[in-house]
Amino acid sequence: MAVAESEFPLVSRRRRRLSGRRVASALAPYALLAPAAAIIGAVLGYPLYLLVRLSFEKYGLFELVRHHGTWVGLGNYRKIFHDSQFWHVVLRTVVFTAVNVTLTMVLGTAIALLIARLGRFMRLLLTTALVLVWATPVVVAVNIWRWMVDYEFGVANWTLTKLHFGNFVHHDWFASSLSGFGVITAVIVWGAIPFVAITVYAGLSQVPQELIEAAQIDGARAWNVFREVTLPLLKPIFIILASLSIIWDFQVFNQVWIMLGERPSPDYYLMSIYAFVESFRINEYGLGSAIAVVMVAMMMVATLVYIRQMVKTGEVR
Amino acid sequence: MKARIIVAALLAVALSAAASTASGSVSSSKADSITVWLMGDAQSGWPNVVAEANAAFRAKHPGVDVKVQYQTWGDHLTKFDASIAGGDTPDVLEFGNSEMTKYMASGALKQLKAANFPNSKTWLQGLKASCTYNGKLFGVPYYAGARAVIYRKDQYKSAGIKGTPKSQTEFLSAGKKLMKKFGKNDPNFSAFYFAGKNWYASLAYVYDYGGQIATRKNGKWVGTLEKPNAIKGLNAVKNVVGTLSRASRTTDEAHPQQALVFAKGHVASFIGNGWEWPYALNKDSGNPDLANVVGAYPMPSHVQGKLMPEFLGGSDLAIPAQSKNASLAADWIKAFTSTSAETGLAKVGNIPNTTKLANVNKDNPQLAPFAKAASSSWFVPTAPNWVNVENADVLQNMLVQIYTGKKSVISAAKSADKQIQNILNG
Repeated sequence: MAVAESEFPLVSRRRRRLSGRRVASALAPYALLAPAAAIIGAVLGYPLYLLVRLSFEKYGLFELVRHHGTWVGLGNYRKIFHDSQFWHVVLRTVVFTAVNVTLTMVLGTAIALLIARLGRFMRLLLTTALVLVWATPVVVAVNIWRWMVDYEFGVANWTLTKLHFGNFVHHDWFASSLSGFGVITAVIVWGAIPFVAITVYAGLSQVPQELIEAAQIDGARAWNVFREVTLPLLKPIFIILASLSIIWDFQVFNQVWIMLGERPSPDYYLMSIYAFVESFRINEYGLGSAIAVVMVAMMMVATLVYIRQMVKTGEVR
Repeated sequence: MKARIIVAALLAVALSAAASTASGSVSSSKADSITVWLMGDAQSGWPNVVAEANAAFRAKHPGVDVKVQYQTWGDHLTKFDASIAGGDTPDVLEFGNSEMTKYMASGALKQLKAANFPNSKTWLQGLKASCTYNGKLFGVPYYAGARAVIYRKDQYKSAGIKGTPKSQTEFLSAGKKLMKKFGKNDPNFSAFYFAGKNWYASLAYVYDYGGQIATRKNGKWVGTLEKPNAIKGLNAVKNVVGTLSRASRTTDEAHPQQALVFAKGHVASFIGNGWEWPYALNKDSGNPDLANVVGAYPMPSHVQGKLMPEFLGGSDLAIPAQSKNASLAADWIKAFTSTSAETGLAKVGNIPNTTKLANVNKDNPQLAPFAKAASSSWFVPTAPNWVNVENADVLQNMLVQIYTGKKSVISAAKSADKQIQNILNG
C-alpha cells in the first residue's frame, strides 16, 4: 500500500523532472544508491551465491555433518531435468500462478471500481474489511480456513449440507487435488485482493474526472470508459501489481504447506514445496538448491520481461 | 520460500566455519546445562518420569540444569539437521527407531558403550538392533510399543458381538454389525476409525499376508509392494477401511488425534498404542466417563487364532556427535532409562526397554493386550536411506491413492515400489 501510493505521484513528478534540462550531476544518484546496493549485495547476493554453489554440489546428511560438500558440476541439474515429476511440478506451478494472478487482478480491480462508486459509509466499511483481511497473518488465516473446510467438523461442509447443496457430510476437500487447489486458491486470492483493490482504488482517484466526463459526453459507456480511459492511465499500476502478484504467487509455500498438515502429497507439490521436500525432508540439499535456482531463473525471466516492457513503453520513466 | 532456502544455505555453509572451530573444544565439566530433545509424547504421557530423571541427574550433578525441549514427530529431524548445520546441537536426542540408521551411517551420532547403561544385557533385541550400525552402538533403547485395537465394550455388546474377534473375517463381520447398529443414524460413526495415512496399521496387513515393503537382492533394494502377497494385504485393508471407517482418507492418525476422536463417542474402535488409551480418558481433552467401557485386544490375523504382526514402534536416545557435554548427556540417559524410569514408562502403556520388566503389566487388563500384540511384529527395511521413504511420505501417499480410489491398488503399489527403490538405492 505504502509503496504503491507513493509510486503514483512519483511517476508523474519524475517524468517532469527528467524531461527538463537538469540532467546534471549524473553520478550523484549512483553515489546515493551505493550504500543500499552494498547492503542488498550482502543480504541477498551472498546467500544467492551460496545457493548457486550448493546446487553444483552433492550435499546430503553425510556432507552436512562434515560441513563440506562434493563438487558434482551440473549433476544435480541433469538429475532434475530428467525427472518427469519435476516437469509436472513446473507446469503445475505455472498454471497455479496464472490462475491466482488472474483471479486476484480481476477481482481486486472489480472491488476497487466498486469502492469508487460507494457512498462514504459503505466505502469506509469495505475498506476496513479489506484492511482487516490484509492484516491477518498468513499462518493464522490458513489455519482458520483449514478449520472451515475440515473433513469432520468444518463449517463449510455443515453449511453446504444445510443449504441443500448436496450431502457434504464428510466431504474431503483435499481428496482431489483440483478441489484442494481450489481451496488454496481461495485462501490466496482472498488474502491478496486487499492490496490490489486498495492500490487500484488509490490509482482510480488520480484519474482526472474531466477525461471521464469528456468520454461520457462523447457517448462512451461504462465499459468503454474503463477500457479507453482508466485502463491506459493506470497501466503502470497494473503492470506493477501484476508482476508483484506473479512473484508472490509463483513462490507460494505456507498456504499449501499448512493447509495440508505439513505433509502435502506429490500432487500438491509446487516448485517451492518440491525444493523444500528435497532439501529438508530427504536431505538432498544440492538437488533442492538446483530446483530453487531454476525457480529463481524463471522468476528473473518473468521479471525481466516486465521491466523491459515498462522501460520500453516509457510509462515509468 | 526462496528466503527459507537461502537461510538454510547460509546456515549450512556460512556457519560451518564457526561450528567446526567450536566442536573442537570439549568442556564437559564446566557446562552449566544440557539440552534434551524429547518427543511431545513424554510431555503428555509421562511427564513424571522425565521429572524424576531430571531430579536424579541433578542430585548427581548439582548446578547443571537440564533443559528438556519437546519436539513434534513431523519436523524434529529437520530441526536437528538445522542444528547440525548451525553447530549447536542438543546433547540428547530422541529418535524413532526407524529414523536411526541414516544418522548412524552419516556419522551424526556419538558411539556409545552398552555396558555404561542400565539393563543393557537385557535390552529388547529389536530396539538394540535399531541402535546398532556395523556392529557399533550409537543409541540407547528408550521404549517400544505395538498397536492393539482399543474398543468400546458397551457398543460391541449392544451390537450383539460376543467376545473379541479371533480372525479378520470375524473382525469384519463384527464391524459390519456395529455399522448397522450405530452407523445408520449417525453419519459420523465409524466401527473402526482408520485415518487414510495411517501407514503403520495399513502395512500390518501386507505383512500379515506374507508380503513386505522391500527386500535386498544382489546388493540392490527392490520394492515388493506389487508382489501378490502384498497386494492381497493392501486389498484386505482397503476393504476394511472402505467398509468400517468414515475417517478422512487424506489425514493421518494424529490429525486429528484419533484417541480424542474416539473420546467424542462416534467411534467404536481404533488401532492405537497403549499410551493413547489414557489420552482418550483425559479429563481435560478426552472423556473420563468412558473409563469403564473401554477395552483392548490384539488385532487378529486373517488366519484364525493368530495375531496380525504389528509395527514394532519405539524410540531410542542418542548423543549427537557435536555435543560438547557428552558425558553429562550419557549420565542423563542413564537416569532416564533406569529400572525405575522404565517401570514408570511401562505403567503408562509402553513396552519397557528391558525384558526384565516384561511382566509389569501382566495382570493389567488394559495394558496386557499391547504386550501380547508385540509378540508378533514387523519392522521397516533396515536400509540407511529408509527414513527418506518415511520423510517423503511414499507409503502414506500410496495409501491415500488406494483409499480414495484415485489409483488402483496395483498401480499405486507399483509407483510406490519405484520410488522406494530410487530412494533406498540412491
